[in-house]
Amino acid sequence: MLQNELFNNVIRDLNTGYWELHVDPFKEIWSEKFYENLGFNKKELKSNIDYFLEHLIHKGDVDVFRDNFLNYRNNSINFKQHIKIKTKQGGYKLFRCATNDELPVNIKSEINLIFFFEVKLEPEQDISKDNFYYKETAQMTATGSWYVDFHKRKSYWDFETRRILEYPDDYIPSLKDSARYYAKDCRQQAADLFFNCAMAGTPFNTEIKMVTANKRVFWVRAIGKPVYNENKEIIGIRGVFQDIDDIKTKELRLEKSIDIIASQNSRLFNFAHIVSHNLRSHTSNLSLLVQLIEGIDDPQEKIGLIKEIKQISSSLNITIEHLNEIVAIHTNKDQEKKPIKFQDALNLVTSGIGQTIAVSQTKISADFSELEEINYIAAYLESVLLNLITNAIKYKHPDRNPVIEINTYIEDNKKYLKVSDNGRGIDMKLFKDKIFGMYKTFHYNKDAIGIGLFITKNQVESLNGSISVESEVDKGTTFIIEF
Amino acid sequence: MSHTIGLACIIDDDSMYVNLVKKIIETKNLCKNLMVFQNGKDALNYFEVILSNLDKSNIPEIIFLDLNMPVMDGWEFLENFTNIKNKLEKTITLYIVSSSINPVDIEKAKTINSVKDYLVKPVTIEDLEAIFLNETI
Repeated sequence: MLQNELFNNVIRDLNTGYWELHVDPFKEIWSEKFYENLGFNKKELKSNIDYFLEHLIHKGDVDVFRDNFLNYRNNSINFKQHIKIKTKQGGYKLFRCATNDELPVNIKSEINLIFFFEVKLEPEQDISKDNFYYKETAQMTATGSWYVDFHKRKSYWDFETRRILEYPDDYIPSLKDSARYYAKDCRQQAADLFFNCAMAGTPFNTEIKMVTANKRVFWVRAIGKPVYNENKEIIGIRGVFQDIDDIKTKELRLEKSIDIIASQNSRLFNFAHIVSHNLRSHTSNLSLLVQLIEGIDDPQEKIGLIKEIKQISSSLNITIEHLNEIVAIHTNKDQEKKPIKFQDALNLVTSGIGQTIAVSQTKISADFSELEEINYIAAYLESVLLNLITNAIKYKHPDRNPVIEINTYIEDNKKYLKVSDNGRGIDMKLFKDKIFGMYKTFHYNKDAIGIGLFITKNQVESLNGSISVESEVDKGTTFIIEF
Repeated sequence: MSHTIGLACIIDDDSMYVNLVKKIIETKNLCKNLMVFQNGKDALNYFEVILSNLDKSNIPEIIFLDLNMPVMDGWEFLENFTNIKNKLEKTITLYIVSSSINPVDIEKAKTINSVKDYLVKPVTIEDLEAIFLNETI
């Protein structure tokens, strides 16, 4: 009794119809759920096997089911089978039939039973088992498949390709305009892959950026291979697109942080080198001086040399100050960023060096209309502008007054500041790698120290930006900062 | 019989170092004349002029070359100098004197024929004496 109750509960919860097979009298009892699942009520159908075989079950399933049924009824041989049964609406539903012993749950019953588990399918799907698993796999792995038919000049997408590309279910892909499914910078790559596959039969398996119907750019793995006819001619390309945007985005982020770490590491190494080199040049002078003092007997001359120590000590102090400045950049980088107007920062800088600008008759023209302000550390932005402007004045062309053009702009969602001058320029062939190094100077100016650009680069990079330079001797120099 | 070196040459942008070496040379009377260039470019210009005149008395017997200098560094000077040296018809001994202890620099110096030795700053008075005396033999 208890068993029956459990059993009744189980099948009620399963939403499954079933037949009870009675030996005497020779009949089947169809459960209410069985009728319900097909949309009929009890009076509309005759509940016997002959009626079922003739009117309800799909023609293709009749023979196998009849054999299974009779074997089960007469010889108690259990069976499992997929069958399609006609519904009241006139369509067919797919059911998985199973008998007592074949059930996953252990149900003991006196009576032989056949269960009919409904297999739910999307309405447009062909009712077939394989298709069901294929669809599950496609959805779970976000992998859509497609086919390009060269003969009909058409491409076909499955539901999942439409889904990941965000097109409606009834969308018909265009072969002619297929370039637009790819991101602008990947169209050539896509064209090459498809062309090579179509002409030479070269299969492809690559990562590429595509564009959805909603203009969202995302990463897919695109795999394709040629399809041949009996004459070994290529008649199409079959393949899949898998949405790998999550993984690829993470990979790219990881790559970026590796780049940042590598650049920080190289800056640290550079810094250690600078510390060692710059301190050594002073200490070696000091040691040379001490030797000299020891080797001289004339007290008057000795005193004269001791004064040199003062000179070395002050140079050492200046070096230490420079090193401190650089260390400070890296400790300051956590300072709060605030929105700063470029014009405000520029005004502050130009008023600070008003005298220098006036004396050198420098003309500064600024245009910040494309990008008026930025979230940055104010002191850094001012320092960057100050360094670039004073450099432009310091290294002006001997034949003309300095003209400095400063402007901001946005390109590919990135923010830029550009500072160009008409100065004497830097020989890029000789100094490209050295421009931003410490104590590197390229001109004969007495006041060239070689610290400004080194600090500028450190400030920009400490906030994850970058600085680049273009220059031509006698024409001028342009610095571009990417924030 | 030894003779004193007539002309030595320092190519270095560190004026403090140059002054000190000058002082040592004067005090110890290591050579008669000393010329100083602040970077490789200045020195190279000088040698190019010498080459067109071929006035042997103005060719230094010893060169002390720094590596880290503005405008033209020691390496670039060496690249150009090797060509000139062969045409000068006079033995010139060249020492690199640098505060760089970077093994890459030291190894690189060894591969250049015209470099006699690599001295790491600070040089000692004894070093300088030994070099000048050695040259006089």
